[in-house]
Amino acid sequence: MPVRWSGPAVAGAVIVALMAALAVAGPIVWGDAAERIDAGAILQGASAEHPLGTDNLGRDLLARVLVAGRFSLALALAATLIGAVAGILLGTLPSVLPRRAARLATGTVNALVAFPGLLLAMFTAVVAGLGARGAVLGIGAAIAPGFARLTQTLAATVAGADYVSAARMLGVPRRRILSRHVLPNIAEPLILNLTQALGGALLGLAGMSFLGLGVQPPSFDWGRLLFDGFSRIYVTPEVALGPAAAVALAGIGFNLLGDALARAAARTTVRKAEEPPAPPAEPDEPDPGAVLDVRDLTVTFPGGSNPVRGLSLTVAPGEVVGLVGESGSGKSLTAAAIGGLVPYPGKVTYGRLHLGGRDVATLSDKELGTALAMVFQDPLAALNPALKVGGQLAEVAVVHEGASRAEARRRAVDRLGQVHLPEPERRAAQHPHELSGGMRQRAVIAMGLMGTPRLIIADEPTTALDVTVQRQILRLLREVVAETGAATLFISHDIAVVGQLCDRVVVMYAGRVVEELPADRLAEGAAHPYTRALIASLPGLDTDRTRPLAGIPGTQPAPDQVGPGCAFAPRCSLATERCTTERPELDAHGPRQRVACWEVS
Amino acid sequence: MIIKNLTVRFGDFTAVDDVTLEVPDGQVVGLVGESGSGKSSLARAVCGLVPYTGSIEGARRVQMVFQDPYASLNPRMRVGDTVAEGIRARDRDSEVKRLLELVRLPAEVAGRYPRELSGGQRQRVAIARALGGDPGLLVADEITSSLDVSVQGAVLNLVRGLRDELGLPMVFISHNLAVVRYVADVVAVMHQGRLVEAGPTEQVVGEPAHDYTRALLAAVPRLRG
Repeated sequence: MPVRWSGPAVAGAVIVALMAALAVAGPIVWGDAAERIDAGAILQGASAEHPLGTDNLGRDLLARVLVAGRFSLALALAATLIGAVAGILLGTLPSVLPRRAARLATGTVNALVAFPGLLLAMFTAVVAGLGARGAVLGIGAAIAPGFARLTQTLAATVAGADYVSAARMLGVPRRRILSRHVLPNIAEPLILNLTQALGGALLGLAGMSFLGLGVQPPSFDWGRLLFDGFSRIYVTPEVALGPAAAVALAGIGFNLLGDALARAAARTTVRKAEEPPAPPAEPDEPDPGAVLDVRDLTVTFPGGSNPVRGLSLTVAPGEVVGLVGESGSGKSLTAAAIGGLVPYPGKVTYGRLHLGGRDVATLSDKELGTALAMVFQDPLAALNPALKVGGQLAEVAVVHEGASRAEARRRAVDRLGQVHLPEPERRAAQHPHELSGGMRQRAVIAMGLMGTPRLIIADEPTTALDVTVQRQILRLLREVVAETGAATLFISHDIAVVGQLCDRVVVMYAGRVVEELPADRLAEGAAHPYTRALIASLPGLDTDRTRPLAGIPGTQPAPDQVGPGCAFAPRCSLATERCTTERPELDAHGPRQRVACWEVS
Repeated sequence: MIIKNLTVRFGDFTAVDDVTLEVPDGQVVGLVGESGSGKSSLARAVCGLVPYTGSIEGARRVQMVFQDPYASLNPRMRVGDTVAEGIRARDRDSEVKRLLELVRLPAEVAGRYPRELSGGQRQRVAIARALGGDPGLLVADEITSSLDVSVQGAVLNLVRGLRDELGLPMVFISHNLAVVRYVADVVAVMHQGRLVEAGPTEQVVGEPAHDYTRALLAAVPRLRG
């Protein structure tokens, strides 16, 4: 778990380290000074000899604050451990016990969470007896319900996982499911919570001692010192402020460190960005007829990884181009790069990236927002679950075209009708979860039609849908393209879908285009061994059932492991010596077809 | 195994409505239908994961392989431990090795974590884990729909291989009729919770009797030209 060392994180780590050192060394170094009684110096304020003053026996308060660190921290640690262990046990009970007992355990946790923590702590402390032990048990009891609730919630999310279902079917006992499947997968957030609970326990214990419920003389912790000094706060404030500052500093330290750890756990590694490669020189003349004209598009991630390398592509008005390849071939990142959506820290360079004849970098958000429509795989993720469908569509027209609310709404209903959503009036007033998957995808397409799209990018728009619904959506896309004359880039891993819908097919492998051909030539005219293998591995309704299906042995290389030669060579049956050392360029192969392969061209 | 008058209800919603279906010994029954047709609920009832009414006879030690191999393996467990979970035999190590061999994975995979494997490899691990429970019936719920086409073929070959080698009866669920046609001996079509057609694969695919089956067949994407 890499921690990003921001200011607060460093401060937290330093304070916690200091506190640990103090707990170890404090009593050894200042132990005698803290206990030395000096009848001639009782109840003094700050002086050069006693920076924080002295107490009623003339003992040096600075030494006593430094020595009290060990006891204060040890008590906090004990209270946190008691609270965490009790809480985690209580929180995991519902997943181990039979149904009825589990419900009782859940109810108990609910009741405890509803109970004010301080009250719970004081009640326990009084019952357990005044003194350090009572205070520790009290604070432990106050911490436990929070831990129990967190454990329960985390365990419930894991308990629904398929691997837990699988273990149950295999007859793994509940206890083992808990220890092998549930706890290891929720340990991280629990440990993070522990650091923050430690800071809370420290403050809580100081509070208990301050109320007289905690540590009793002759023992002393920070809270006790604060309690003793508080009566003198108007005369010599430093005697109370010293221990108060120690409590506050330790509390802040643990909380800062806990926050930093929690944030580090939530964040994925970001390696230091490297110099982006120089953009390729402006290539040949742009294609005047194309809506989308891409030359030498490259997406780079830190660490020398190039998921898209030198990709070129054109799409004409009214044309549907299919971009096909296995997962990891870079097809979705290509779409993201065109839409300006490559996630940080990815870098996009290109020789040319023109949309409607203009460089996309020069287009305003508004222009890009109306000229480009994007349809994604998961329509539920593309729609805001909290907003009504009609309102979300209307927003496009309001934001990008300055239409009035009423006009935008009318258009939204009109567009929903255009994508054949039954009862568009009623659907517009519904939330996304009330629509089926197919209806949602129609709504997303309708959203793209709110502007006047010149380019539609559809990234796996039917992968999450059934074949029957898929067929309807493909028909709808065709219809929309015919009506609007928009250029369409259709991305899919399913070459059969691409072959059915598209005019032209672009096959990608390891970030590069390996073949480009008219869709109706796929069945007979595909030339690249990869394209042919993709087609062969597809079961159809006339596939010979007596013979094994063809597959492609091996896996596609990761973007940072592509060698100098043809990336497909290790999986290719035609590969020769040359293929592994020298990369073939995309060359013409018959009319309207281009192939990058040494062996077929 | 035979399923008789099986009904699954979630509140007011009837997910599976009075389905009777036989899974003959050593055969693969393909279950097709769109999402919401009740095929997954039927499978989960057979596995004992959802409450149902009706009877399921002769289904002993049912094991299931799930759709998403990224969610169905515990990320904190090594592949070997995952596969060993259901094994009752004394010599677990050699049994794990045998099972990995059965799903055509090299033995050294046992020491790795799921994140180090590809989607197709993970799905093989999930199949090996299910086989470790010595199942009398294997339920495969959309096991290839989150895989690439290039990997799907190999997993489908494996499913057919297991039937031939082990004589293991299976319920194979998919929304893609072309996939089901390739692996199944019997095809059952579900629509809105009901079984609308069932019969030998060639008959259902070749001469569909129900309109909905015909619609499914027409929706299978195919290359032109």
